[in-house]
Amino acid sequence: MNYLDCSFKINGNLKKISIIEDKTLIHVIRDELGLTGTKLGCGLEQCGSCAILIDGEKKLSCNLLAKDYQNCEITTIEGLENKDGLNNVQEAFREFNAAQCGYCTSGIIISITALFDKNKKPSSQEIQNALNGHLCRCGSHSVVLKAIDSLIEN
Amino acid sequence: MNQFNSGPSINTYNKLSHWFDFSNPGILKVYSGKIDIGQHISSTLALIASKITEIKYDQIEIIKLSTDISPNEGITASSLSVANSGSAIKAASITLKINFINYALENLEIKNEDILFENGVIKDKNSNKTISYWDFAKTDDFRKIIIPENFDENSIKKINYENNQKIELKTINDIVTGKYKYVHDINFPKMLHARIVRPPSYHCKLIKINEDFKKRLVENDITLFVKGSFVAILSQDEFLVTKFLELAKKNIFWEEKQQLSNENVFNSLEKHEKESLLVKSGGEAFYEEIPEKKSFDDPKIKSLSTIFKKSYLMHGPIGPSASCAIYKDNKFTIFSHSQSIFALKYSISKFFDIDPNLVSLKFMPGSGCYGHNGADDVAFEASVIAKEYPDRHILLKWTREDEHSWEPYGSASLNKVFGAINDYGEVIYWSNEAYSDTYLSRPSDLELTNFTSYKFLTNNFAKTKSKPKTSAHMGIHRNLDPIYNFKETRLVKNLVHDLPLRTSALRTLGAFANVTASESFLNDLASIKNIDPFDIRINHLDDERAIDVLNNLKEKMEIFKPKDDSFRGIAFSRYKNSAAYCAVGVELNVTDDLEINLNHAWITVDAGEIAYEDGIKAQVEGGFIQAASWALYEEVIFDSKEIISKDWDSYKIIGFDNIPVFTTSVIDQKGSPYLGVGEVVAGPTGAAISNALCNALGQRIKILPFTKDNITKELLN
Repeated sequence: MNYLDCSFKINGNLKKISIIEDKTLIHVIRDELGLTGTKLGCGLEQCGSCAILIDGEKKLSCNLLAKDYQNCEITTIEGLENKDGLNNVQEAFREFNAAQCGYCTSGIIISITALFDKNKKPSSQEIQNALNGHLCRCGSHSVVLKAIDSLIEN
Repeated sequence: MNQFNSGPSINTYNKLSHWFDFSNPGILKVYSGKIDIGQHISSTLALIASKITEIKYDQIEIIKLSTDISPNEGITASSLSVANSGSAIKAASITLKINFINYALENLEIKNEDILFENGVIKDKNSNKTISYWDFAKTDDFRKIIIPENFDENSIKKINYENNQKIELKTINDIVTGKYKYVHDINFPKMLHARIVRPPSYHCKLIKINEDFKKRLVENDITLFVKGSFVAILSQDEFLVTKFLELAKKNIFWEEKQQLSNENVFNSLEKHEKESLLVKSGGEAFYEEIPEKKSFDDPKIKSLSTIFKKSYLMHGPIGPSASCAIYKDNKFTIFSHSQSIFALKYSISKFFDIDPNLVSLKFMPGSGCYGHNGADDVAFEASVIAKEYPDRHILLKWTREDEHSWEPYGSASLNKVFGAINDYGEVIYWSNEAYSDTYLSRPSDLELTNFTSYKFLTNNFAKTKSKPKTSAHMGIHRNLDPIYNFKETRLVKNLVHDLPLRTSALRTLGAFANVTASESFLNDLASIKNIDPFDIRINHLDDERAIDVLNNLKEKMEIFKPKDDSFRGIAFSRYKNSAAYCAVGVELNVTDDLEINLNHAWITVDAGEIAYEDGIKAQVEGGFIQAASWALYEEVIFDSKEIISKDWDSYKIIGFDNIPVFTTSVIDQKGSPYLGVGEVVAGPTGAAISNALCNALGQRIKILPFTKDNITKELLN
């Protein structure tokens, strides 16, 4: 098994670790760095629960080779809080109690954060595009959509 | 105001210390035997306790279920969590409060009018002396108190509270910050990650493992675990086990003892050996002769018959099932998201033939799932592996393919419905024959074979036959008995044997299929006589609460003008004819490409006294969304070799792009028993969509899901 010394910029911190060379990014985030807010749902880029931000863009981390993202700014759900506390999207989800089991929620918050970082007044279609590929089995969709709508109103 | 019944849990757990822990000053810890599967039960129970004890909601914590310390309230299922645990905690809270006030009055030697009661502390206005629940909990008086099984009207009147509180969910802050810990996130020193190497299908015996592959595992410090035909690989590095799992599948060989059937499952449901039971009014099933179906020659009586079909459905949690187990000092400690935590303790102890006290089950959250998914299996499998590696935690996770292919599905089913309506619009005859595999194969100490890995561990691939359950509304015949006053009914439960796929409890059991079929068929009977869908229902109901729910729905739907080219449908059900009432309206449109867009959904629910209104809304809207997904998209595909629906591309579920606008109304019946709401909406949702679709197409589509393929086939027929 070949190991590589890598360094990752994650949630504003530089982390140097030695990893199996083909380790996927989600396993580095969860297993090596202990950031378990990013969830593994399918490992097939079909469910959205492993979404993270790479240089501000939403990416699904379950099949990405970790070594390829050493020079990027990686942000997980744990890194969204700012000096004032929760970011606007987290705050809206908290205010609306927009989750049931919560397994899919961090991926959705990541996608909506990426959307609102670029566009404070996204159209319904842009919101739908951002949510495309995020699956929820509990049926929290209606309250999630209410939380997102509140971000536009505010 | 009625007498309040404390519910079944109080029969066994009638001391305040069974439900409350006051050991931390300023904090009330509450025990419950129910688990939080995303239905907000922990927040709801905390709110119930807060409303009555007047301790602030934020100062109330719900203790996670553990078989070591929690009351055994059975399975978290059947919409009974608030009905059972909520009622028990309400009873305990009322008992606590009444006794505490009496104690304070006596010990502070004051009168009722001189007390100030704030956040669990009573203060004498005159002397400023105080006494708190936490003081009271240290007394012998507290320890001696027995919670009554019933409360009379006068006791209840002493307790005032409102039912419209807005609260922050106990779980939400940790969820939105990624700190909420699921069983998948457990980490212990030297913990081993495990994956199971599955054969292609249910009936496969292990033949050979490639020797070169075994060497590669050793070289990479990966452990191979084999017991019978049960094979797993383990490593301290989780990535390594996932990486070698695919390789393992190519290097392990199986003998297929029996193929899956590739016969059309609806043909199998009709043709295979079955046990037929007569279901009587009240919903119980009996081993009695089934009467012949009547026929009607009178021209004034119109009759109709239809066969409704529903495919296999899967639970499909977004996070596959997982469990962590350790065997240490001859004892098991198992972390699990099973809904049957206590049953699991007894099943696992039975398998290992040890004292149940040597098995401790601790609830850790899993991914949302309503029913018997892989949670019990994976906990059992983790314990089997842990037994072989004492003193080390084993974290076993199912893969997406495991969950899709190996979970116990909701059965495919048929409903043969026949009915007759007279000139006065009265339904004078109603026959409904349900055909299905079992909905009840949760493992227990008596049914270890219900663990999917049991046959692989024992190499015993003999098929077991399910036995029909006869209690009211149990399994296949849930909500088969119509709630309406039909003059004569003929209801038959057919438990069909030797069907291809593993099945068990999925949200609502048989009620989704039965209510979807019945409430669609009722519309078809009504349309023969041009009777309005609301009228046909209300005309056959006596129960005022049922009628109020329907009238409320009608009123709410009339506020909104239908969109152009859209069509509406309604349906109604009372879950198990004894729990919550729910009426659903749907407005949808059908594209030229036969895609169904849900525009608006109206839900009116009466769940007795409101425990937590936003929680009820979340449950019924979530239940609608899941049932809409079943109705529109879901179908487990398989062939003679294996399950084809291995992932989310081959098993489509609803996305954010087809979520309707909701108008949800909750009718409060303050003082009435809590009636759970986790399942009541599913049946009426299936039927309301079916009825709206029928209005859109001018023809009844009788096979679920309503995909383009199925609609096309039905239209061509």
